[in-house]
Amino acid sequence: MAYLQAILDGILLGGVYGVISTGLSLVFGVLGVVNFAQAEFLMVGMYVAYFAWAYLGLDPLIAAPLAFGVVFVLGFYSQKLLVGRVMSAPPAAQIFLTVGLMITLENGALVLFGSDFRSVNVPYQIQGFRLGELFVSAPYLYAFLWAVVITGALWLFMARSWTGRAIRAVAQDPMAATLAGINTARTYNIAFGLGVGLTAFGGAVILPYITVSPTAGVQFAVLMFTVVVLGGLGSTTGALVGGIVVGIIQSLSGLLFPIQLQNLVLFIIFILVLALRPQGLLKGV
Amino acid sequence: MRLKPTGILLLVLFVVAVLLPLGLDPRGNWLRVMGTVMIFAAAAQAWNIMGGLANQVSLGHAAFFGIGAYVSTLLYINFGISPWIGMLIGALVAAGAGALICLPTLRLTGHYFALATLAFAEVCRVIANSWSSVTGGPVGLTIPFAGDAPMLFQFRSTVPYYYIILALLVVVSLVFWRIQVGAFGYRLRALRETPEAASVVGVNVFRTKMIATMISAALTALCGTVFVQFTFFFDPDSVFSLTTISIRLAMIAIVGGLGTLIGPIIGALFLLPLEEVAITLLSSQASGVAQLAFGVVLIAAILIEPRGLVALGPWIMRRLKGGQPSAPSDMTAKGETNV
Amino acid sequence: MSDPILSLNKATVTFGGVRALDDLSFDVNRQEIVGVIGPNGAGKTTLFNSLVGLQKLRSGTITLDGVVVSDRKPHQIAALGMTKTFQNTSLFPDMDVLGNVTTAGLLHHPLAEARDKAADILDRMRLTPIARAGIDALTFPQRALIEMARAMATNPRVLLLDEVMAALTPSEMDEVMETARQLRADGLTILVVEHHMRAIMSLCDRIVVVSFGRKIAEGTPDQIAADPAVIEAYLGSSAKEKEVQHA
Repeated sequence: MAYLQAILDGILLGGVYGVISTGLSLVFGVLGVVNFAQAEFLMVGMYVAYFAWAYLGLDPLIAAPLAFGVVFVLGFYSQKLLVGRVMSAPPAAQIFLTVGLMITLENGALVLFGSDFRSVNVPYQIQGFRLGELFVSAPYLYAFLWAVVITGALWLFMARSWTGRAIRAVAQDPMAATLAGINTARTYNIAFGLGVGLTAFGGAVILPYITVSPTAGVQFAVLMFTVVVLGGLGSTTGALVGGIVVGIIQSLSGLLFPIQLQNLVLFIIFILVLALRPQGLLKGV
Repeated sequence: MRLKPTGILLLVLFVVAVLLPLGLDPRGNWLRVMGTVMIFAAAAQAWNIMGGLANQVSLGHAAFFGIGAYVSTLLYINFGISPWIGMLIGALVAAGAGALICLPTLRLTGHYFALATLAFAEVCRVIANSWSSVTGGPVGLTIPFAGDAPMLFQFRSTVPYYYIILALLVVVSLVFWRIQVGAFGYRLRALRETPEAASVVGVNVFRTKMIATMISAALTALCGTVFVQFTFFFDPDSVFSLTTISIRLAMIAIVGGLGTLIGPIIGALFLLPLEEVAITLLSSQASGVAQLAFGVVLIAAILIEPRGLVALGPWIMRRLKGGQPSAPSDMTAKGETNV
Repeated sequence: MSDPILSLNKATVTFGGVRALDDLSFDVNRQEIVGVIGPNGAGKTTLFNSLVGLQKLRSGTITLDGVVVSDRKPHQIAALGMTKTFQNTSLFPDMDVLGNVTTAGLLHHPLAEARDKAADILDRMRLTPIARAGIDALTFPQRALIEMARAMATNPRVLLLDEVMAALTPSEMDEVMETARQLRADGLTILVVEHHMRAIMSLCDRIVVVSFGRKIAEGTPDQIAADPAVIEAYLGSSAKEKEVQHA
């Protein structure tokens, strides 16, 4: 029963990991750039939701679209002014530009907000539901449901909207997309904004059960990369499945190992997947 | 052979470095700052062998740095082995770890390799934090005080440390230079963008990358040992740190000039005193502001001049000669080696 | 004629379900110049990649002077004496021309000797004026020639030339062909992939025709030119007329 509970918890966690990582995967899939600053945009999303709660009294679940919007704009201009200028540069330049962005965002938050850990108070924080012998925690469930909804929305957006189809076209063949009349540069801006916005959305919905601080992103960085590498870099559906897999692994390893070794399990999976199947475990299966 | 401007500059820097302790207060902060500058210049130079010459961008050199720190210190604390010996053993262990990480990751390039090395360093950090019975865990390790004991790598004054560090920087730089101008450097430059073409004309790509990684790892470990002998105290989060070690080493090399001999030295001379000044000026939120400045400098360096500060060299030379801005031929022509 | 330096024995390469090389067998004799022709996508580049070890065979073997090389790595095959040029050129961008050729010379020589040897090769190919030029500054024909020079610096016994003549002017082409004949006279065996029929007909002793990974014909240039199956498969009926006009 403990295992079943752990798997359930893992799925609820993993759905959120999926959304967070989908953003990273989208950025890579469209721009071909691994965004090392992705987790810092998550942290920014958490702060947006936190301040919306602290000053406007908004529940983080309601503030999540706001977090998405704010970070979308931030991402849009980060891409336009910074990342866009190294798109055709060697990987080293791309890596260190986004690493620079990571350091800037993290320490910008430190300077602006201080190093305090902040958390919100919502009525359902410690509530839950019984499902036979299983316990479903309310904040985890709500976050998971929101994650599923936004993933569905993304899917619809990519499949139906003109912009979504333009993004997919640019991802497949920028040259052909340009010839077809798509504004490639603008599409890159939007895709990056969308990617980091999604991650920020994920950051907002987990705020009811997690504290925010300038270093809040860091703990998600490797997790996000593990998810995305599992699912195959650039594959957004893979990221969702990868997220749930990682959620379950993390939750199960919590039963077997002391808490500080949980990350170790992730790292080792991460390195192994990179070594054995860098194209992703779930791709082509 | 005619000395190039960079050769002259290196020579001048070396002479200044040798004479510097005469002018600085031996107990003062600036001598320590210069020691730190040179340690990071040396470690960045070691990183540069992989990241600059082989184009294998590592975001995990903290792994080797920390291995150097832990191996020498644990050998000293538990078995009384002098850190002089311990640092060599640490270098060997780091070379072994470098080889180990090569096996699964060398096929990876670019982003994937950076991610894999990052994860490897994080694994080391987590292990050092969790395996408390051996590593002391998150509390960290303090090097037992032995007074003025040169055989045990301990001195009362900062000056001997300073010269040891200078010697280390010279050794690492000589290794880098030897690789750069030698046959091994040709192979590294051949495989970094065109590995297939390199292999077809006889370069053993795997072995070449592996040897470069092992040399780079061993030299970084030496820097790790010297660093903790110099600071006396360390913990897993400081020596295995992603930002203050792994990224900083890469950044020093990039800001100075990727793949060049003088780059890491210029980069360290520029960045670390900048950080020191920021800390002195803004003691309240110091670390945040200094790091923030780091991030901005890194972004600016990549956007404005990806070749780093060394690219300013030809410009300065032209100004010194007082002539017209010369044709850009000397900038674009690629020499065999760009020292 | 019964002592080939290079033999392919039922070499097969598959990509997914596609057979890029399909049971391909042929021999190349010492000091022969053999042309490999076929329509685009026939498997010529896959063949060359397999020969130098960049592409693993699914089945079959490749033997170089009695040694099975189809399980070896590219650098080992280079050391055994077989190397190739790259079709769209793949020179080392971080080095000048001399550095490119020198690197290949390191296979058998220490650095100083390799550099002398490289200078020597460039001199013989009359490329000395561009020895210190960066790769970015070269024209495509120059790059193709440097590809050849670099390959020669490995002291090959078998040299594979993958479309080195693609963008050359007729006089440059004649020069390359003269160089090839000279190399053969010095003991080299040469395989050539080339689209230019005039060049291949005048240069090669023998021609192997490949289509969809299979060998459809093999013979002297005259035999191949007269082979109706080849004309059908390779040139197509309309191309045949064009070729006749050219000839």
